[in-house]
Amino acid sequence: MIPTHRDANLSDGELHSTEAWQWLDDELYARFDGRTIAPGLYEGFYRDPDTKGRVPDQSRRYIVAVRQSGVGDLRAVLALACGVFQQKCIYLSIAGQVEFIEAKPDESNPGAP
Amino acid sequence: MNRTQEHLDLKGRSHSLADLDAGERALVQELTDYAGCHGWNDYSNFWMAKVGEFYGKRGLGRREVLRTVVYRLAQDLDSRLAISEGLARPPDYRDDLADLIRTRFRTRREFCEATGVSEDMLSHVLAKRKHLAIDTLTEALGRIGYTLHIAPLPEAKAS
Repeated sequence: MIPTHRDANLSDGELHSTEAWQWLDDELYARFDGRTIAPGLYEGFYRDPDTKGRVPDQSRRYIVAVRQSGVGDLRAVLALACGVFQQKCIYLSIAGQVEFIEAKPDESNPGAP
Repeated sequence: MNRTQEHLDLKGRSHSLADLDAGERALVQELTDYAGCHGWNDYSNFWMAKVGEFYGKRGLGRREVLRTVVYRLAQDLDSRLAISEGLARPPDYRDDLADLIRTRFRTRREFCEATGVSEDMLSHVLAKRKHLAIDTLTEALGRIGYTLHIAPLPEAKAS
């Protein structure tokens, strides 16, 4: 699930730039040969672990076909996505098992020379 | 956008269509037509599958497909749809900065050491909480061989 807005506490709560969505598309295409986006937006809310406040959000739901051996790679993309999309964590569901992937501080950039 | 010879993307970059073959031109037309009458999610699913299938048959690897004009054009149409539906915003210099750091530097710290921008300031800028003054940005970019430029603002519509 990728929220349509940046985290208001971590960032400014505004819409992502088209660059962020393009980055995600590039990563998913290059690493996993594509993705499917579920119709519509997913409305929800959660309790912010830092502010303790209730935060409503809307997200795009991405579906990615990944072999067992590629799950670690998917987690790595989502850890980077936390930075790109300015999220504290990103919801990931693998075969019904839910995880929250967090950003890693100043992680090495895989695209760098 | 000049429909026959070039495509001007949201960042004002020109992509030449002159070297596209007949198959690629037909694909561009199909993508443009589809974007003109479908929503963002529908088009997002359509273009990536179409472009991947098209170049897959030609034996291109995924990394090669990413560099094709058709992939970039298809993705630009996707971005325009997102903006027109009020679900994304056009990129600004901070997005370019983030992209530069991702692709040219191993870490943010390495970028900061090269440019003289403090890590704290960079963190605020990339989180969209602060802006860099234009002279500070110009000086920092100059230290790593980059500069700013002013580009025309393209229309956001996908068709």
